[in-house]
Amino acid sequence: MKKNVVWWPAIVHKENAHKYGDYNYFEYTRKSWEYWCERNDVLFVPFTEPVEDDLFRFRPNWQKIIFVFDELDRLGIEYDQIFLADSSCMIKWDAPNIFELTDRKFVGWNDKDNMRWIYDSIQGYKSFFDGFELDQYSYISSGVIIFNETHREVIEGFKKLYLDNIDKFIDLQDNIVKKGTEQTPFNYWLQINKVELNLDLPTAFKLTHMHRKELFSHNWQDGDDKTPFFIKYGYNWVFNGIPKDDRSNLIKQTWDLVGNNYNMDTAKHDKILDEMLHKDTAKYTTSRKLKSDILKEFGNDKYKDKTIVEIGASQGHSTRMLSHIFKRVIAVEWDDWNLEQARNNNSDRDNVEFVKMDLYYDRWEDHLPDDVDVVFIDAGHEYHQVKMDIENSLKRFNNPILVFDDYGLPPGEVKKAIDEKIEDGVLKFHKFIGEKSEDLISQSGTKFFDMEGCICNFG
Amino acid sequence: MKDLVFIIAVKKDGQLKKEYEYSIKSWEYWCKKNDVELFLMEEPVTDMNDMHIIWQRYFLFDMLDHNEIEYNQILMVDADTIIHPDCPNFFNETDDKYCLIHDDGSYDWILRGMEHYKKYVFNDEWFDFWEYGNSGFQIVNKKHRPFFDKMREFYFEHKDIIQQIQSNWGIGTDQTPLNFMLRKHDIDINLMSYKYNMTCMPKKEILGDDHLYTKLGWIYHFNGIPDKNVNVPLLMEKSYNYLYGNLDD
Repeated sequence: MKKNVVWWPAIVHKENAHKYGDYNYFEYTRKSWEYWCERNDVLFVPFTEPVEDDLFRFRPNWQKIIFVFDELDRLGIEYDQIFLADSSCMIKWDAPNIFELTDRKFVGWNDKDNMRWIYDSIQGYKSFFDGFELDQYSYISSGVIIFNETHREVIEGFKKLYLDNIDKFIDLQDNIVKKGTEQTPFNYWLQINKVELNLDLPTAFKLTHMHRKELFSHNWQDGDDKTPFFIKYGYNWVFNGIPKDDRSNLIKQTWDLVGNNYNMDTAKHDKILDEMLHKDTAKYTTSRKLKSDILKEFGNDKYKDKTIVEIGASQGHSTRMLSHIFKRVIAVEWDDWNLEQARNNNSDRDNVEFVKMDLYYDRWEDHLPDDVDVVFIDAGHEYHQVKMDIENSLKRFNNPILVFDDYGLPPGEVKKAIDEKIEDGVLKFHKFIGEKSEDLISQSGTKFFDMEGCICNFG
Repeated sequence: MKDLVFIIAVKKDGQLKKEYEYSIKSWEYWCKKNDVELFLMEEPVTDMNDMHIIWQRYFLFDMLDHNEIEYNQILMVDADTIIHPDCPNFFNETDDKYCLIHDDGSYDWILRGMEHYKKYVFNDEWFDFWEYGNSGFQIVNKKHRPFFDKMREFYFEHKDIIQQIQSNWGIGTDQTPLNFMLRKHDIDINLMSYKYNMTCMPKKEILGDDHLYTKLGWIYHFNGIPDKNVNVPLLMEKSYNYLYGNLDD
């Protein structure tokens, strides 16, 4: 199946290594893209071995574009859209999936950073391109572009242009124009060939020359938040336009600030988890860790056609997470206000049904179907309530898996009810989930004394 | 009915700033060439201690009524701009919308301003910084009159905090609140090309003796310039002479 691809050129040019701080920054920018790709189901394709070894005649910046289709073919990759992102780019962990914004056009961003440099470069190559009048307001950075198979012909044409004129181009870039490598010729080629450009995507995806834009700054006038603006408001941080030997240091400093957000173990689920609140900001819901553990345990093919009942949906944050795993989610809640919030928080989910019932007075068979595979129990927290939830679940449903929240909640009634059923052999303990007690504070402000949750009767 | 260009030209101590005179002369030329009316706001509407003169431009429609001026579209432009004599008629590119030009200058200044107004005035509302417009070039028409009423109401309702923010943090006058208000009132915005409001030219390295900026666009906004009290008059004079010297002769 075709996948969107991030094409990440990172060829080490040993002769220039000293200029680029030994390319140490590759380590960090690469990790950022690997995480983002995993999270967005995008294929990460690093371009680290040159097609042509002569890096004087074939500079990495030329190779990254003229050989892109050859390399994807050689690797047997079935690509859909291709995002060429230079190795000096670091993507923010939760940047939106840019492939959904392209209209399937050739995407670029008009470069207005150093307009003099661009103007001079355009003038320098003008005679080579027979005096073509290039529109500087459509001039794009070649280090951040998106294209697809429909652009193959024009890019292959660009390769031919280079191969036919290689000595001339080297002379222009090294001796005559001295303003960049392939970027300006590529802009001429795109405009001469009338390639339809989409220049309207948010600038946040191309934050070049950040020092010039003063984006390394933070709100130094008010409050304690020292997070630099580029991290807060940007999506793709391009560390260019700065002295090249500073790049590694700046990127490492950035990684030290934000690297903890790029956890490959949770990458696949982080996008889902960002859709809802967690215990750190909303005490009434479960922690991010508990939701993540449930996603890890159940987020596979085995459960995608199954039904779950959530006993005690509260405001529907866990409900939303469950809706990404199961075919059908039946969320039970008694309180009208909570129900309204839960409905709002899941208004765009089409597999969630809400049931208003009193779990301890109403008959379960009057409100809930019997073909339920998993029960998530997070309702009353008194001993007799939890006991009733377990007994009713086992009575109403056919050998369901039971997932419990608030196992270690003080004063311990949830734990007591579960432990008793385990001791009696009614439940079979599988594993603990969620946060450890030391990281948990209950809604009433008291500390947990045991794990946040557990799973029983699994498998 | 003609299109109209509106410029604030209030004298200080009986004297208009020298650089503003260059600006106005350039606009006079362009307006005449394009059959556009030029209106100079030479007197404040209200006490400038109570309302900064920049905020007073939101009395625009009342001023035009008072002076019995008919109008179609109106450009409100700052007096630290110079227009190229051959600038195309941008009134033909508005789509009848509220037109601004993205401010691509100091994001430290812009984002600090946005954060202050978000926190202290606009109850945590927010919008994307890449859609933030510079208020020194605004094209409006009659349908935007109610919005101008809202801008004035907003100012007087929040005068104390606005004045406090302006004086404590130096993040401009109407520009940031205007951007918030446009979103709050769902005004359809057309962000036009940078070539019609070339702000912060030093950052783009185009402001030099070769006047490169004149090859890259049409309206030159002399802001974001270090040591502005000395440099802006000099640069605008040079710019005016470069563009209009021969024409005046």
